[in-house]
Amino acid sequence: MSSDAGPDSNSDASVDPSQDTGESAADQSSGDGPSSEERDEPLLSLSGVETYYGDSHVLEGVDLDVYEGEVVALMGRNGVGKTTTLRSVLQLTPPREGSVRYRGEELVGRDTHEVAARGLGWIPEDRRMFGQLTVEENVRVAVPDADDADAALELAFETFPDLRERREAKAGDLSGGQQQMLSIARGLVGDNDLLLVDEPSEGLAPLIVEAVAEALTEAASDTTMLLVEQNLPLALDVADRFYVLDHGTVVDEGDTDAVSAEGERLRRYLSA
Amino acid sequence: MSAGVALASLASLAPAGPSIPLQFADALIEFLSPTTLVDVILRGIAEASLYVMIAAGLTLVFGLMGVLNFAHGSLTMLGAYLGGLVLVVAVAQSTGGVGRLLAFGVAVVVAFGALAALGGGIEVGLVRPIYDRPPLYQILLTFGVTLVLDELARIVVLFYGLQPTTVWQDVLGTKPVVLAESVGAAGVSVSGLELFQILFGVATVVGVHLFLTRTRYGLYVRAGGEDSEMLSALGVDVNRVFTVVFALGTGIAGAAGVLLAWDPSWGASVPLAAETLLPAFVVVIVGGLGTFRGTVVAALIVGLVDSSMTWWFQNFVDFTGLPEMVVFLVLVITLIVKPQGLYGVSEVGGH
Repeated sequence: MSSDAGPDSNSDASVDPSQDTGESAADQSSGDGPSSEERDEPLLSLSGVETYYGDSHVLEGVDLDVYEGEVVALMGRNGVGKTTTLRSVLQLTPPREGSVRYRGEELVGRDTHEVAARGLGWIPEDRRMFGQLTVEENVRVAVPDADDADAALELAFETFPDLRERREAKAGDLSGGQQQMLSIARGLVGDNDLLLVDEPSEGLAPLIVEAVAEALTEAASDTTMLLVEQNLPLALDVADRFYVLDHGTVVDEGDTDAVSAEGERLRRYLSA
Repeated sequence: MSAGVALASLASLAPAGPSIPLQFADALIEFLSPTTLVDVILRGIAEASLYVMIAAGLTLVFGLMGVLNFAHGSLTMLGAYLGGLVLVVAVAQSTGGVGRLLAFGVAVVVAFGALAALGGGIEVGLVRPIYDRPPLYQILLTFGVTLVLDELARIVVLFYGLQPTTVWQDVLGTKPVVLAESVGAAGVSVSGLELFQILFGVATVVGVHLFLTRTRYGLYVRAGGEDSEMLSALGVDVNRVFTVVFALGTGIAGAAGVLLAWDPSWGASVPLAAETLLPAFVVVIVGGLGTFRGTVVAALIVGLVDSSMTWWFQNFVDFTGLPEMVVFLVLVITLIVKPQGLYGVSEVGGH
């Protein structure tokens, strides 16, 4: 798979070809990360992924790579297939076509728990707390080896001191911000090599967003991450590279250093 | 309104006497006397113990998988026959009380193991392929399993010269004398069997509670009951958890069957399947679908209401057919006042 988004954009004729200015095309090529020849094999590699919900064709051939140690932002308007991409990786909504490789191994056809056991963690959009379980139990359930639970709890509480005070509280009784912290903590303690993070700042107060961003940045120092995020400044701040999805395909990609939150290149895909 | 109906039926059924209010006052005084009250409460708890054992598996399976297992009663019935078979084979006329209790222990282990294996097989082979379908499919499937199991039991029982619809008396005969007698103290007498049932029920409640709260699998069961997809994304093989819980649930049903086989008011027979399924559903729905705590509390409520009403219908109304109706009245009132049950989250049919 090439890291050039060009063929994808061209194949999807409905995607604003008129707006594809020479400038942005130049940006694209200059903004690309090192080509696959220069880098090791990607940690995660999607190629030609086509995913459906019933008859609805959501992903129409997604190609993307995530390399070890980097944070990759997946951007795009609502409903373009960002969450579905993450679900396709985890085989929660298995792709009908295409390939999802993790450390070179095909994930399509495997069960979700087998995928997760290979070191892929999911921090889902709507937090998905086990509301009747305590904060502590929510963390414990995410730790593969029960012997590591105490260390995992300590890590979770160090990252989010708010949670320590509420460790005996039911997760369902936490505030939205605390639930998001718990959701992230659950992803961090799971001994994961790749975190799939879906809209971590959605619906949170600015102060909480800061705490979440800090935790993610901290986590990014030793974990690879594929991050879906609508909050552009946050995404660009945390991520090294980005992909833009539109109508179920990748229409742009590059280094986050090469773009700005105000720039036209991203705006045209992200604003409604 | 329901209280009014109950009073009206009480009044119409009460025998003609000097004065109904006076009779009622007399009966009330007698009911509230310590000996009667303790007797009624112990009887109620014993009944609750049976209900909790019958319903525990049903609630565990529904709580985790959202499957209402209509075959649950049939599995209890199979447990009763299987345990009964072990008891009949192992216990001779000369076997002492301890030996009979030991045989009962063996029967429980055999019934639990065999039914757990059968339940695991049913889950893997029949229920798993239709998890993604609407609940109606699972209801129809498990109902079909009930028909098959009941019919098979009927054929086998007939083949060995027993009457499928009447209680297997030989099993009742293996009960140690101590359980058939009453233990008395301070004017209160309790049947040994009731105490045994209470002991068994408490052990079941404690065991299931410890399983749910102290074991890793229990944690998975509680988490999976809320969001099995998220649980699988955390690396847990949810299908295996489903199988284990289904097996555990049917195993408990089988063990409950053995206990019922020693109780003359239940006993091992093919109709035991339906006789146990109904109260199990009542208890599970009153407690709130899928909550074990709700099931325990509901079993106590239903048990105590039933034993109280039985006393009242025997001693005041002098008509013994109606107490069972009261159990269903509890269900109806719960569905009207609190459709999600005492501790339930989702309403019946809303899972």
